[in-house]
Formats: sequence, C-alpha cells, structure tokens
Amino acid sequence: MNFELIGHLVRLRYKLLWAKTRSRNGRIALFMVCYLMLVLLIALLASGGFGVALLAVRTGKAELVAQAVLSALYVEAVVAAVVLGFGVNAIFSDAQLRRYPLKARERRVARHFIGILDPFWFLILALELGLVVGLYVSSSASFWLGSIAVLLLLVSNYLLARVVALLLERLMQRKFGAAVLLGFFVCIGFLPAMLEPVLRGHRGAIAALLHVLSYTPPFAAAATMTRTDLAAFSGLLLQVWWLLGLAAAVVALERRPPPPAPRAAQTTAISWDTPYDRLAAFFGPRLGPLMAHWLRFYTRNNRCRTVYAIALPVAAMLAFMLGRHTGTKGHLGSPFSAALSAFAVLGCMGTVQFSVNQFGYLGGGFRRFLLLPVRPAAVLRAGSYAFMLMSSALILAGTLLFIVFAPFAFDARMLIMLVGAAVSSLFVFLGLGLWATLFGPRCCDYYSSFGNDLSAAGNTVVIGGIMVVVLGPQLLANTWPAALAPDRWWMAIPMVLLAAAFYSSSLKRAGAMLLARREKLLAIVEGRG
Amino acid sequence: MDAIRIRDLVKKYGAVTAVQGLSLAVEPGTMFGFLGPNGSGKSTTIGCLTGLLDPTAGQIEILGQPFDAESAAIKRRMGVMPETLGLFDPLYAHEFLAFVARMYGLDEATTRRRVTELLDALELTDTSKTLRDYSTGMRKRVAFAAAVIHSPEVLFLDEPFESIDPAGVALMKQWLRRFTEQGRTVFMTSHVLETVERFCHQVAIITTPGKLVWQGDVTVLANDGAISYDGREFRALEPLFLHLTGQRYADLNWL
Repeated sequence: MNFELIGHLVRLRYKLLWAKTRSRNGRIALFMVCYLMLVLLIALLASGGFGVALLAVRTGKAELVAQAVLSALYVEAVVAAVVLGFGVNAIFSDAQLRRYPLKARERRVARHFIGILDPFWFLILALELGLVVGLYVSSSASFWLGSIAVLLLLVSNYLLARVVALLLERLMQRKFGAAVLLGFFVCIGFLPAMLEPVLRGHRGAIAALLHVLSYTPPFAAAATMTRTDLAAFSGLLLQVWWLLGLAAAVVALERRPPPPAPRAAQTTAISWDTPYDRLAAFFGPRLGPLMAHWLRFYTRNNRCRTVYAIALPVAAMLAFMLGRHTGTKGHLGSPFSAALSAFAVLGCMGTVQFSVNQFGYLGGGFRRFLLLPVRPAAVLRAGSYAFMLMSSALILAGTLLFIVFAPFAFDARMLIMLVGAAVSSLFVFLGLGLWATLFGPRCCDYYSSFGNDLSAAGNTVVIGGIMVVVLGPQLLANTWPAALAPDRWWMAIPMVLLAAAFYSSSLKRAGAMLLARREKLLAIVEGRG
Repeated sequence: MDAIRIRDLVKKYGAVTAVQGLSLAVEPGTMFGFLGPNGSGKSTTIGCLTGLLDPTAGQIEILGQPFDAESAAIKRRMGVMPETLGLFDPLYAHEFLAFVARMYGLDEATTRRRVTELLDALELTDTSKTLRDYSTGMRKRVAFAAAVIHSPEVLFLDEPFESIDPAGVALMKQWLRRFTEQGRTVFMTSHVLETVERFCHQVAIITTPGKLVWQGDVTVLANDGAISYDGREFRALEPLFLHLTGQRYADLNWL
C-alpha cells in the first residue's frame, strides 16, 4: 500500500480546501465553518457531554441516553452527508486519481481516507467524544473503550453514508428513480407519526423495537461506552461486524458500474414545438426564447426535478407535523399557523436551491449569454420568471389540495392568508435569490443528484430563509395570535405587495449590476475564480 | 471603413496588465490570423472584442461603430466561437442551435431550416445525444454552427480547427473562404502556424503583455514567397513567429 502517496493526496485535499480562502466567498465560508464547528463543539462539550452524561448517570439511564444521543447523531450525519453533501462530495473520484501511480485498491483507500478526514466528520467525532468524556467523568465508564467505540462508530457512519449515497445515485439514474425516492421520503416523514400511536398502545412494541435497535452500531457503541462487563466487548464486536459488512457493501457498489442510460436509436425525430416553447411564447419574442431555455435547462436537472417533486409532500408533512401537537382538529390557531408555514415553504422550496445560484450550473454556457445580442439583465429576468412560473404551479396545486383535503374548517379569508403567505415567500426568496446569484455564485455540478454545493450566501438564504418561514408563523401564533385571526385576512395584501415591491426593485437593481459583475461571475461560474 | 479597429486597447486585471496599448485594423473581406504565445493576451483581446470583458482603456470599433458589451445591434452582426465553446450541456444540438438562432432574431421557419441544414452538413445527425455526450470534435462543430447560423458579417473564431477531423476542417475552411469572398471578415486565433500561413490573408503577432509586434500580409508565403523583417527573409510563418516572440531553449538532460 502506497501510504506516502495517499498521505500526499490527503494533504492536497486540505491544500485545495485552503486555496478556497483566496476568494472572498471562500474566506467567508471558511470562517462560518470554523465558527459553527467551534460553537457546536463548545455547546456539546458543555451541555451535551457533561450535562447530559451527569444527568443520565444520576438517573441511572446512562446507556439509554447514550443510545439516544448516538443514534440521533448517526442518523443526522448520514442525512447531512447524503442530502446536504457534507463530507462525502469532497473526495476525489476514481477517474481523477487514475493519473497517479496507484493501484485500484490504493485508489479506493485514498478516496475513503480523504473522505473520512473531511472536517465534517471531525465535527461528528468531537460531538461523540464529548459524550465519552462526560460519561467517563461522571461514571465508571472506560475512557479508552468509549473512544474506540466512537472511532468505530464514526467509520461505520461514514461507510453507511457512502452506501446510501451510492444507492440513491443509482436510483436517480433510473427512469422512475425520483418518484421512488419521493415515496420513500414521504414514508420516512410520516413514519414517526404513524408509529407513535402503535407504540403507545403496546408496551411490548417498544421493548421489541429496542431489542431490534440493540443490533445497530449506535446502540452497540452505547453499550461499549457505558458498560464494563462482557456486554461492552460484545458491543465492540458487533460494531466490527457492521464495519466489515458496510465496507463490503461499499466495495461491491463501487465495483458495479451504474447502468448505462438507455439509448433507443442513433437518430430520433427532432421536435420543434415543445411545451417549453409554447409556454414561453406567452412572454413575447424577446423574453420567450430565454424563458424556454431556462425552463428546459432546469426541468431537465435531476436534482431540480427531485426537489420540485418533493416540495408538495414536504409542505403537507410540515403542516401535519406542526399542526399535530399544537392544536386540536377543527380549531383555529395552531393548525392554521402550521398551514401558513407549509404554504410559505411551498412558495419557495421547489426552486430556491437554484434561484440563489442561477448561473452556477451553466459552466461554460454562461459565456454564451454574454455573447448573444441581449442585455444580461434580460437573461437574469427570464431565469427568475422561469422559477416563478415553476413555483406558481406548486402554489396552485397546493391550494387545490388544501381545499379538498384541509384538516380543519376554513373560509375564503383564511385561504387568502395562506395563498398570501406562499406568494410573499415566493417573491422574497426570488428577490434574495437574485442577490445571492450576483454576490454569492458558485460553480456547481449540473449532473450531481445530491449534495450541497451552494456558497455561504446561497446557504444562508436557503437554510436560514426556510427556517424563518417555518418558525415565523409559529412564533407569531404564540406571541401575537390576533395577527393570524381570519379577521386580519387583509394583512395578506400589503404583505404580498411589499414582497412584490422588494422583488421588483431587486430585479431592476440586480439586472443593472449584472453587467458590471459579469467578469467576476464568468470566472467563478467557469471554475476559475 | 474597417471591419474591426482597435485603438490603444489596455486591459488590466488588478495590477496585472494583460493587454498593453494594442492597436490594429482589419479590413472587410479579410481572413485575419491573430497569433501570440500562451498568455500573451489573445483571449483577453477577443474577450474585449466580443463584449465579454470591459477594456480598461482604448476604443473598439466593429463595422464602423463604437462597440461595448451592450452593443446589441452590432452583436447581431457578429458571430463568435469562444475558446470554451459556450455550450449548454443538457440540451440537444438542435435545441441549442435553435435557441441561438432565435436570440439572433431569426424567424421560426428560417431557424428550423438552417438548424436542419447545419446539422446535416456538419454530420451532427445523432439526435439522441445531448451536447454533454458529444465528443470534443462534435462539440466544436456545434459551436461553429452556432457562430455562423445567423450569417454574420464578422466572425471571431478561437482555435476553430483544433480537435476536428480533416473532413470537418476542409468543410469549415471551404465555408470560411466563401464567407470572406462575400466581403465578410474572419478574425481567428490558432497555434497551428501552417494552417494560418496557408489560410489567412493577414496576420498580427502579439507578445506578452498584449503588445503588437508585427502585422502584415502572409499570402506571399502561400505562393512560395518570403517576408522580409529585421533584414532577414522568412519563407514560413514559424521562424518569423519564433524570431518575434523569442525562441527558447532549455536542455533538460534527464528528458
């Protein structure tokens, strides 16, 4: 095994990471990552580690608490790594490593070494080690056994994230992959709500569930961390088995190439009058071709299609989850505020990931727009209108579904408020998206099915914005419930007008600025900046 | 009226000067070769000439009119094949060409006719592939088709023949010759000096940082003549180029 070269490659990965700080965006991203890591580390070591461990030991439930904490971290790490792309996307591909004198096995080891040494996994490790230290200080738990358990857990966590990512990648390459994934997400989302009454009614079911879960890596690690008898070693052994199994799964999946895209014939009939062109024709001869282009470009994107397809079920799930605990059926107030959150999410979720980085997926294609006899502002405007068109269809579908399946009694005033929340959210997010497109662009891979490759500005708008629209109505329901009363339905109108004014002025100003920013954007979008 | 006129063009990237006081003129109906070593400012100059970049100083005139990034009317009369091709990978070739044609204001019937004719002529008939799945040469053909689809008066081509097979190159050369015979202008860069020598009428050679060191007629070379410069006779473009840009020797004894 050529560990010297593998070591050089790991260093190269960190050099590349550091090189990103040469750009202003990179510096901000690095600062935010370091800052978040520090805050999370301190938070866990202080409260999650010592506090929870002390409390757990005092109540005699150390193992149970460790199981819960480790399981939550385990699942969250897989979700963050696969869906948001933390810690997995950074690794070099096998093709990139072929230029170095490494054998196939060495290339695989190098890739996964680089992957697991990503800063994201250090954060997870820090969080888990905090728990180990907390248990060690407050009980008779072994520090070394706990540390080994956490290290094994981290490796299995990384491998599971890789297995899931590889499976999803293959799934997305299939014709109905997005639909299957959509069904899967819906099932997962509703699972806790469906399981809750079953578990409540049958005490034995919880014990059975815990028994099954005891064979999972987090439970095995918890046993090793908290126990001092034979169970600690059997937990360790179980983790080793999981590691071997997951490693074998990764190797098997990586060795098996994804199925080639089906190709029926060399020549197929050229279709001129497509739905994109017909729809875009309404925008006139100047904006029409650009609109058709943007619609075609983004609706062909796997990631865009998936996010768009899951937006409606996610909004429905959100309304269900938020409304479930906070109010009774048919009663105005909390279920309605949950519906407001859901509609606000529906207004932005389908396209926000792309509207904050409109040009980032074009690569060299961005240059073409600047060569065409069209003002760059028109390109930006057409793209934004295309996103608006796509999101409007979602709002319309959501409204119709709400009218048919509403979980509580409602009148026209409440419907106006719900649609107002969705439309306001749409305008605000599109407006913010224009600024993020201009000042926080990032060169992204159009063909990647998963991952988060947005800039710090893009992430701030997407993650921060969605958190605001989810929590905002709930906060309002608690602090100023009268604002959500149907009598105040008229408030939706100034809210929409305000949001539309923000969008309109953003469109005008960002369009004017695009010309001056085009050289910088060109360098970033083409991967040179 | 010159087809292209540059006066004292300067382009700086911060403290780095990419083009320093470049002035040149290209007459209509000329096949113009723009040569220079790597990093000499060729792409930057083309970037300024096509509106991708803003010059730091100097004036550009295309077809007798001042040109800047917002000169949409002049851009309609120009065709560009950029270095990076500027393709939209998820599109099919006919979709891409139709989009470009519509953006140049061609009516629907002309768009469809020209796209079909170009795809046939350039042998881009495999319509089951998106541009991403095309080979480098095929992608270059598509970019060339996009540059000529609206029948421009001035054509900017950055390394047009690289990666294209001999039959494709012959066809493109035939089109370009007819193009200049009609009084239209081609402004091209290339590192293949033999091609430039036989194909271009006029050549400009620049050195780092974007300084013009020679401009002249090269048709004499195609007729077995010679170019006189610095008291020497050059019977081919390569020795002249090396003489002007500085020939370098590095003896690596391990190689």
